[in-house]
Amino acid sequence: MLACFDFVRDVNLLSVTVRMVLAVMCGGLIGLEREYKRRPAGFRTHILICLGAAMTTLTSQYLYLNMGMYTDVARLGAQVIAGVGFIGAGTIIVTKRQRVKGLTTAAGLWTAAIIGLVCGAGYVECAIFATVMVLVAELLLIRIEYRFAQRADDMNLYIEYTDANAIEEIVRLIRERHLKMRELEITRVSNETDNVRYCAIIGLRVSKKQLDEEITKSITEIKNVTTVEEL
Amino acid sequence: MLDCLTSLRELNLLSMMLRVVLAMIVGGIIGFEREKKGRPAGFRTYMLVAVGATLTVILSQYLDLMLNNRWAMTAEQVGIKTDLSRFGAQVINGVGFLGAGTIIVTGRQEVKGLTTAAGLWASACMGIAIGAGFYECMIIGTLLIVFSMKLLPLIENVILRHARNMSIYVSMDSMENLGGVVGYMKASEIQLYDVEIDKANEHLTHINALFSIHLPKRLQHTEVLAKIATMDGIIAIEEV
Repeated sequence: MLACFDFVRDVNLLSVTVRMVLAVMCGGLIGLEREYKRRPAGFRTHILICLGAAMTTLTSQYLYLNMGMYTDVARLGAQVIAGVGFIGAGTIIVTKRQRVKGLTTAAGLWTAAIIGLVCGAGYVECAIFATVMVLVAELLLIRIEYRFAQRADDMNLYIEYTDANAIEEIVRLIRERHLKMRELEITRVSNETDNVRYCAIIGLRVSKKQLDEEITKSITEIKNVTTVEEL
Repeated sequence: MLDCLTSLRELNLLSMMLRVVLAMIVGGIIGFEREKKGRPAGFRTYMLVAVGATLTVILSQYLDLMLNNRWAMTAEQVGIKTDLSRFGAQVINGVGFLGAGTIIVTGRQEVKGLTTAAGLWASACMGIAIGAGFYECMIIGTLLIVFSMKLLPLIENVILRHARNMSIYVSMDSMENLGGVVGYMKASEIQLYDVEIDKANEHLTHINALFSIHLPKRLQHTEVLAKIATMDGIIAIEEV
């Protein structure tokens, strides 16, 4: 504990102001970064959540320290942790392609709420340090994250073909290369004329990236295959 | 318990910082595994959840410290101190909600995102242990979580590939095409456990069927899919 922050450890007008302003600042800094990335929960959302959370622990301490009431100083704040989980879950959406979005926003909102609790409780050192670490995670580590995402060894192929039997050929070709097929989805698209097209989406697990082009090329060479694209 | 860590078990400025950083590292390690698989919850999500969980327990300890020193007089008058695990207990709840958001039921009766939710929840629980300064639990827990996430899928895949049971989701033009599919299954000695048929939409003519089948030994999953796909009147097929 740093002695220089001792003046915020009791509940009085000065410390209440410091704690609440600190909560606004911590929430604002985390929210600013989200806002900058145009995520749904931005600046104001984070500030409100952080400030609200700070007021719960603050109120508990006021009741306990100033009024001398019989209460557990952690009870009000504890419910924030569960409650913001709910709000966070609302920011998570499932897109039409069955991808989950908004999870990092939800997790960030949840963490901001907990930092708010820490501010409200008067643990200034911890609140500042945690805010800095969250910003480090958001600003610096995102670069590492994108690098990994590109190296993902999953590969999705979109294939169009005109004859139903071509799929058996494709499946055989993939098996010959000992590749693992994660998923296979086939859809028939028929026009008003007699032209029937088939679309297949194949999910593959590829161990080496250089194989990609070779697979795409050999599938293209199969009879009746019209399009092969990597998604 | 390791004696060399004793000085870090008390809450002070150094141990607070150490725990937050450790939570980030551990969350990062677990998230890294998921990220590589292109799963929705990556690196930063795990990190944020782990840090948040750690902060709750640190906060509890801080309150306890205050109640025993600076606020000791009041605590004695009021006659109650805080429950140290109250904040942490809500993490278990709150992250459960967060995880629930990642679980989706696709239009094809298949549940996705369950491992993401469970992993997020496990790393939050890990964060609680880190916040409490339970470093041994952190080391063993991280090893075991990474082990389960990295190595167990390999075993799971082998089991799945050789699994004789499979579920296929088939869209077809009309009821008549169902006969063809069932006929093929009979001919290749595939046991049919269950068929769920639903008319997708009254305006549409096509029907959807979910087959639960048991394959004979020589047949591969993809072979069956490819064969059914070539039949007349099949619009879409997918293993679920």
